[in-house]
Amino acid sequence: MFQKIALAIAFSPRMEALMCETKRFARLFNAEVIFIHIGERIEEEEIELNRIFEKNGFDLSKITVIWEDGNPSKKIISICKRENVDLLVTGALKKETFFKYHFSSIARKMMRRSDVSLMVLIDPKINPKPFHNIVINGTDDPKTAEIIKKGIALANLEKAKLVHILNEIQLLGLRMSMAGEDIASKVEDTRRRLIQDEVEKIENILSEIDKEDLKINIKIVSGKPGYEISRFTERAKADLLVLRAPNHKLSLFDRFFPHDLEFILNDLPTNLLILQAN
Amino acid sequence: MEGLTHSDITNIFIQISLMLLAARVFAELARKLKQPAVIGEITVGIILGPSLFGLLFPDAFASIFPSSGGSSIVLDGLVQISVVLLLFIAGLEVELNVVWNQGRKALMIAFFSVFVPLLIGFVVAISFPSILGLSSDLPFVYALFFGLSISITGLAVLARILMDLEMFKTNNGLLMIAAAMIIDVLAWIIFSIILSIKGDSPEGMGVVLTIGLTLGFTFLMLTVGKTIINRVLPWINQKMAWPGGLLSISLSLCFLAGAFTEYIGIHATFGAFVIGVALGDSEHMTEKAKEILHQFINNIFAPLFFISIGIKINFIAEFNLTIVAIVVLLGFTTKVVGSYIGSKFSGINTNNSLIIGFGLNSRGSVDIVLALIALESGLISEEIFIGLVIMALLSSIASGSIMKMIYKRTQSIIAK
Repeated sequence: MFQKIALAIAFSPRMEALMCETKRFARLFNAEVIFIHIGERIEEEEIELNRIFEKNGFDLSKITVIWEDGNPSKKIISICKRENVDLLVTGALKKETFFKYHFSSIARKMMRRSDVSLMVLIDPKINPKPFHNIVINGTDDPKTAEIIKKGIALANLEKAKLVHILNEIQLLGLRMSMAGEDIASKVEDTRRRLIQDEVEKIENILSEIDKEDLKINIKIVSGKPGYEISRFTERAKADLLVLRAPNHKLSLFDRFFPHDLEFILNDLPTNLLILQAN
Repeated sequence: MEGLTHSDITNIFIQISLMLLAARVFAELARKLKQPAVIGEITVGIILGPSLFGLLFPDAFASIFPSSGGSSIVLDGLVQISVVLLLFIAGLEVELNVVWNQGRKALMIAFFSVFVPLLIGFVVAISFPSILGLSSDLPFVYALFFGLSISITGLAVLARILMDLEMFKTNNGLLMIAAAMIIDVLAWIIFSIILSIKGDSPEGMGVVLTIGLTLGFTFLMLTVGKTIINRVLPWINQKMAWPGGLLSISLSLCFLAGAFTEYIGIHATFGAFVIGVALGDSEHMTEKAKEILHQFINNIFAPLFFISIGIKINFIAEFNLTIVAIVVLLGFTTKVVGSYIGSKFSGINTNNSLIIGFGLNSRGSVDIVLALIALESGLISEEIFIGLVIMALLSSIASGSIMKMIYKRTQSIIAK
């Protein structure tokens, strides 16, 4: 699924846990790992880093650490592109202050602008556990089938207990109020059909995917998709939300007139896997 | 203090009862004919008004719908409230995220769909003001309004047609919906500026200040206002009775915004529309709440408004074939052509561009409200107003059928 994984490291209290999580992903996907540190290369930091690597059973001879200076988010993304990384792992706070959210959070900048798939962990652990309860965003999009396919592949690898696939009915309020000009039974028919159509779309996609023994729950929501996905993920107590990366790099404009992803970034409901579609 | 008499109160209840009942009967007839309810409601208004009922039974008409007195004032007030509420739900229908998702294409289509009819309508009106019966004191403003009045799309009617044709969720369907949303916003901003220029603002408030306040109000509502709404709505949803709390607060905000824009000299409907957009775009305004508001307003207040048009205006005495023909022809052709050009420039193929052209030619909701406000503000004559209403009715009836025809043809070509 992923051949080369990168971890963006900073000397924070969560660095060690993030390393352990990355090690687990490397084993899970049988992938190569590189570590990226943006900032001056200081000998003490290098020694500390090696100490943590050794402590957590990394083979120092096989580890690549890239030390470079520059704008952290831009530099990390450009290194990932240069090194053909296909999954970047990073930590992020569940919620940021207003200023950090809009202007200075490196993790959020990467989520908005990355060309590489991102695994965002809000609570990394020294002893990481597989994801058991996964939500996949299946809202209408030409790339939805690919995202669902990758999400299911990951769920199979993780031997997840439950997978939810969310689809949405766009403009339900407007459509139902127009349908409301009909008799009651027709209105109910319309409502049922609207839901059934969306369920069928997901079922059609699933019919072409190897689901092994996964338990899959298809859920239809209405409203602002990003907000509803976020709320559902919290309600379902999911430990991973899989969604598609935005079509374009998000700007300040997308925060004032929120893009779906911004509803999620505003208060991360759980860990995220933001996938780039081919 | 003067109050309503016993007979005024009785009369008001008879008026409302008769209007709601007649509206329901004719909306059902329209439904049987697969037409939007608004067509039945406007038609029954014409039947109940001076054009037919008043002509055949003048005394009965004068006693049920007196032109002066307490009951007439109350009915006028009720119609004003209905218009404001109608625009409030028109605002709720605008979903900015749907617009952004459709992006440049929707913007391009909306631009041509508004500006081709606006420009041609303006040129025709300013060139032949006497034929169209336009006032000569502010020719620029009148001509501008005439152009605007033929450039609007009825979003609700379009949504209904798209649902009937099962095109709502297709690429073209969502593109049309997004374009119609942009057209609504553009049209109301242009209209509010026209009203400002015409100068109904309070004494001492100049045109520039009124336009500044209008644009400032719109900008503030869609930025700061929306942020405040996003903070307050979750609290309302959690702490107050649902949907009662949400409905009361939403309508309260709607009337407050209406009062503000009325005060600065633009019609109250503009404030209601803008607050509708701000509220409707909040993630905390649930689809269920929108549905309830729609049902409540569409089935009680909208019929009162649409029937009142026929009761106010004599469609037979004021009917002017030349004006109606010009308005209908100009409205149809410029709107279809404008939307078609926009679609073609967006890279859409000919058949789909035609579907979009006729789809955006659907009218019969906001455009009629706008025309009535223009009539009341003295921007247009009753003859032009009748032309605009007839154009709205005809385009609503025709659009669905023509779209269906092209859609079927396209499908059969694809199948072959």
